[in-house]
Amino acid sequence: MNWSLIVWNALYTGINAAAAGYCLVASGLNVHVGYTGLLNFGQAGFAAVGAYAFAIPVATYGWEWYWALPLVFVASILFALLLGLPTLRLRADYLAIVTIAAAEIVRFFLNSVRFTWLTGGSDGRNQFTGFFQDLNPLENNARYKLGAQSIDGYRLFMLFVGWGLVALIALLVWALMRSPWGRVLKSIREDEDAARALGKNVLMFKMQSLILGGLIGSLGGLILSSQQQSAQSGQFATTLTFFCFTIIVLGGLGRVKGPIVGTIIFFFLIQLIDNTLEQATRRDKIPEWLVDQNNYGQIKFVVAGLALAALVVFRPQGIFGDRREQVFDVR
Amino acid sequence: MNGLVTSRLLTPQRALLLGLGLAVLSFVGPGQQAHAQEDPPQSIAGRVFNQTLEDGERIREPVADVVILVETETGEAISEAVTDVDGSYVVPVPEPGTFVVRIDETSLPEGVEVADDQKEGETVIVGANQRENRTFFLGDSSRDTKGKWELLPQTLANGLKLAMIIAITSLGLSLIFGTTGLSNFAHGEMVTFGALVAYFLNREIGWHLIPAAIVAVAVSALVGIGLETGLWRRLRNSKTSLTSMMIVSIGAALAARYLFLFFYGGTQEAYGQYTLQPDAVDIGPIALAPRSLWVMSLSALMIVGVALFLLRARFGKAIRAVSDNPDLASSSGIDTDRVILIVWALGGALAGLGGVFYGLEFNVKWDMGFTLLLLMFAAITLGGLGNPFGALVGSLVVGIFVELWTWVVPNANDLKTVGALIALIVILLVRPNGLLGSRERIG
Repeated sequence: MNWSLIVWNALYTGINAAAAGYCLVASGLNVHVGYTGLLNFGQAGFAAVGAYAFAIPVATYGWEWYWALPLVFVASILFALLLGLPTLRLRADYLAIVTIAAAEIVRFFLNSVRFTWLTGGSDGRNQFTGFFQDLNPLENNARYKLGAQSIDGYRLFMLFVGWGLVALIALLVWALMRSPWGRVLKSIREDEDAARALGKNVLMFKMQSLILGGLIGSLGGLILSSQQQSAQSGQFATTLTFFCFTIIVLGGLGRVKGPIVGTIIFFFLIQLIDNTLEQATRRDKIPEWLVDQNNYGQIKFVVAGLALAALVVFRPQGIFGDRREQVFDVR
Repeated sequence: MNGLVTSRLLTPQRALLLGLGLAVLSFVGPGQQAHAQEDPPQSIAGRVFNQTLEDGERIREPVADVVILVETETGEAISEAVTDVDGSYVVPVPEPGTFVVRIDETSLPEGVEVADDQKEGETVIVGANQRENRTFFLGDSSRDTKGKWELLPQTLANGLKLAMIIAITSLGLSLIFGTTGLSNFAHGEMVTFGALVAYFLNREIGWHLIPAAIVAVAVSALVGIGLETGLWRRLRNSKTSLTSMMIVSIGAALAARYLFLFFYGGTQEAYGQYTLQPDAVDIGPIALAPRSLWVMSLSALMIVGVALFLLRARFGKAIRAVSDNPDLASSSGIDTDRVILIVWALGGALAGLGGVFYGLEFNVKWDMGFTLLLLMFAAITLGGLGNPFGALVGSLVVGIFVELWTWVVPNANDLKTVGALIALIVILLVRPNGLLGSRERIG
């Protein structure tokens, strides 16, 4: 077993460009769940909208990036309005069901053979990352060393772009949540009726929160698809949302650093398990009837699911959260 | 092995690889790269029958050794296959897209020819990881091309069939919600579990499907009891909020789903019996396989049984009392914990049975329950929260809507579920209480 490679790769997975994308999607979800108490289970839908609203115009219609980027924001806001209007009045569990359904609708459409001419079907779209490649001061195809991990210049650049965006968004969220506007969101999370009694338009604030978190999630989707230079509907399945839930609960709900710490720890642990199993099965360290080369990859999903369930029961405040502020007791 | 549903190209090893491939497709996370060197996951399959009329009765015989050609729309050859003794063929296609399937007429035996409407071949749209079925008929062309309106009764019958399966599975979901307030996102995995237990006993151990199904239902009921006593009752007693419990069920569902993939693999498989039923029963304009008729009648029987139990039996009344007002029920001497335990057993059993039925009709798959879960939720949300009779009405609407959607929008098979989900959102817009619900769902 090559432990140094396993640990280095796991560390890299915790901080690579894809992790930054996940972190953004989770930061958006944190605005919904952690600050507003909106149980949005359709965050993958926002990420998909963000990725495809950039990829389709650029790859299918040859738009310039500066026209496509505003479209990401427009599409994301439209999706938030479409999603929010019927659902924001609903109780938490209904909201969860309907948001999952909405995200799946988006994914089904993106995956559909009928719209292959637009979305590329299940192959998705690629060749929309020229903007990032031109911007990259590094050699796109050159190999760079990050500890024991070797990555190409493009991914290294996207790593910096991704985490740079994460830092900007974290600053924005921190500032907004300290503002009077952010305090209203928290009051809605704590007691919606009280906020209403104080004359706040709860529905309006919820909608604004949905739009803000959705925009952040769409940026995350854009980073996720750009770093692997391909937008595929398979990336935006419900597992993306569930992973982000695990991440924000792990890091602490309603904490600015929650998604960041959560992402790094989550992907480090998940990849550590995955790499260890991969090596162990390849070198016959584990009996084959237990785990083999073909199915070890499933274990990380099982662990992620169990971690989510266990965290919610035993440590709902995560690593940094405040138990008094944990949102799951509010209906 | 059943050639109609199981590809001969899929050895267990390849099947596992395929499953892995699917898993990687659904999550291409950091540090991973999708490896796709396995067999293409999508294919066109079907059977070739010789169709003759004797004494006014349609007789269909499978024809072997017929060459099936698959071409692109522009006539470029993609792949071909030969039918086996069951008359069945499977042609894997490298990528999703539109294809033309036709019979190589030189390979036909003497004296038979392709039915007129299939001479030019059939245009098939294949989605990613999908299997499209096309059946060919030889001999005298008694199969006439049906107009859209003539297809409507069959579409409605298929919708009713799906509705029945949704109904028996969502009854349990609705009863659990009614008595405990929990939206159990792991209910879909209980459906898959029942289907997989029956599959294991049927295909691995070699039992006949009927005893296998009965044991699967019993095991599913036990799992329901186990979950209630081992997990949910403890969480309730420790005053865990309903929202937390819902998220626990989501985590559990994720874990269970990938455990199924781990153990069972990513293939679609059929049960050993009742899957090969070419001679459909004609009821007026509708043709249904005997299997489907059995599934529908048994489901209907179960639904009526549960409804009578809820309306008439003492214990059924207790369940409704707990749904209505747990505190009042408890203070009137009803043992709420026992009622909830029975509801979980019943819900587990119904989910397991629904899983077997769903597997019979649409094959067994590791994520079949998750596909069904959204439809179940759509059904109970449409029907009105926690109202088991609302769940029935909702299931009917959802099942028929799913099939009707593909009737209205042609070639939209991979968008089947979307129709029902959109209907769910639209109904919540105009009537947030569902069809038979009370106002309490609005927060």
